Amino acid sequence: MTSIAATGLNVATPRAFVGPAARLSAPVRLNYPWKFSSVKRMVMSVKATSEGEIISDKVEKSIQEAKETCADDPVSGECVAAWDEVEELSAAASHARDKKKAGGSDPLEEYCSDNPETDECRTYDN
Amino acid sequence: MAVSTIYSTQALNSTHFFTSSSSSKQVFFYRRQTNRRFNTIITCATQQTVVIGLAADSGCGKSTFMRRLTSVFGGAAEPPKGGNPDSNTLISDMTTVICLDDYHSLDRTGRKEKGVTALDPRANDFDLMYEQVKALKSGIAVEKPIYNHVTGLLDAPELIQPPKILVIEGLHPMFDERVRDLLDFSIYLDISNEVKFAWKIQRDMAERGHSLESIKASIEARKPDFDAFIDPQKQYADAVIEVLPTQLIPDDNEGKVLRVRLIMKEGVKYFSPVYLFDEGSTVSWIPCGRKLTCSYPGIKFNYAPDSYFDHEVSVVEMDGQFDRLDELIYVESHLSNLSTNFYGEVTQQMLKHADFPGSNNGTGLFQTIVGLKIRDLYEQLIANKETAPAEAAKA
Repeated sequence: MTSIAATGLNVATPRAFVGPAARLSAPVRLNYPWKFSSVKRMVMSVKATSEGEIISDKVEKSIQEAKETCADDPVSGECVAAWDEVEELSAAASHARDKKKAGGSDPLEEYCSDNPETDECRTYDN
Repeated sequence: MAVSTIYSTQALNSTHFFTSSSSSKQVFFYRRQTNRRFNTIITCATQQTVVIGLAADSGCGKSTFMRRLTSVFGGAAEPPKGGNPDSNTLISDMTTVICLDDYHSLDRTGRKEKGVTALDPRANDFDLMYEQVKALKSGIAVEKPIYNHVTGLLDAPELIQPPKILVIEGLHPMFDERVRDLLDFSIYLDISNEVKFAWKIQRDMAERGHSLESIKASIEARKPDFDAFIDPQKQYADAVIEVLPTQLIPDDNEGKVLRVRLIMKEGVKYFSPVYLFDEGSTVSWIPCGRKLTCSYPGIKFNYAPDSYFDHEVSVVEMDGQFDRLDELIYVESHLSNLSTNFYGEVTQQMLKHADFPGSNNGTGLFQTIVGLKIRDLYEQLIANKETAPAEAAKA
């Protein structure tokens, strides 16, 4: 009995160990949802916009780095790897932009844009 | 009192399983039931997973092709619940899509130090890829690493349950021979250089810091590795979707109207290529005319047998754009061997995702058709596996 009670408390704590830029996964399961719901929503909307900006900053920085690395030696492995990083970050940035456009901090909109035929997302026009 | 942590994993039949590991590293599966509390050891049913490989550049799990594919099978596709929010995996009732970037052996800093791109096989762990795909195919769950595209680091692994259909998407699904042999069907998405350039300009020009030169430099720098490691996988694919600039508009460099070719290998088990009018003949077809009015630049179809890397193939080609629903249904009614369950299924699937890119041209059309072909392949494989043991029992 005690083990279950103890583990029941631990469900909330692992969230803290997700990482320094802890982004809550969209459907957060809490045992006491009324306790944290308003804070959760505020936190989520703030994190969503700053994630896009974080990636944009990274893209800008990586482009500058790539230009510098390639100025020395245009055919070296380092130059190629730097531009590959730019490509990877640009892809991540465009995904983040699409996500923000699709509904941003609203997880239902995001879910429905991918799965329009599910019950939650059906729209009846006539 | 030992500290326990609880992970929740998404199971196949949507009953929730809890795994709890104590400090002595024992794993128990608990079935959540309110009144009774007992441990049940769940063994995975021996099911044969169908494995599909998709080779695509810069796309992972969330790409349009994947969403169309999972939508053909039905069910909502979403990242694993309660796990890493930056996970690249997509799970639905029937399918699980795994991003092969998760098998990077070097993270972003590691690659920068060594001076290798993500396209280079030295940056990927093919042994682990082979082991895990093999395990999933035989019905064993695996702990798959996660490559975080935002931070560029390798995160803690996530548990993947063997699905009915496993799709591995990434840069190197057909690179390693052992992995290639595990694939039941493979697809290669071949974007020509002009179209790639046009798309990347559209994607990156809005990004702060990018300029036309930087986009060009980025593509040029990756080209040698791409041509050496990724492009040769074309010859192993059962279906190639080739995206080229249109021939209907002279000197078009916007990349909006596309010419898309679906190259289908002949003689692949459980896969019957799509054809137009008469199988094995050469047909050129412009549907716009008296029965159908199209706006500029119109639609042009071609169908012909051909040879591709010394293989016999059939090629269906579409150049142009769809503007209206009736153009789509008209075209669908004239294509044969589509493996649809009912008349108009291709159109319905395309309309369901009308906001996806490529929904008005051959990319969306052929991606949807390939999805239906895969569904057909899956059903045939399963039916075959059911009759085979029955025959063995009789013998």
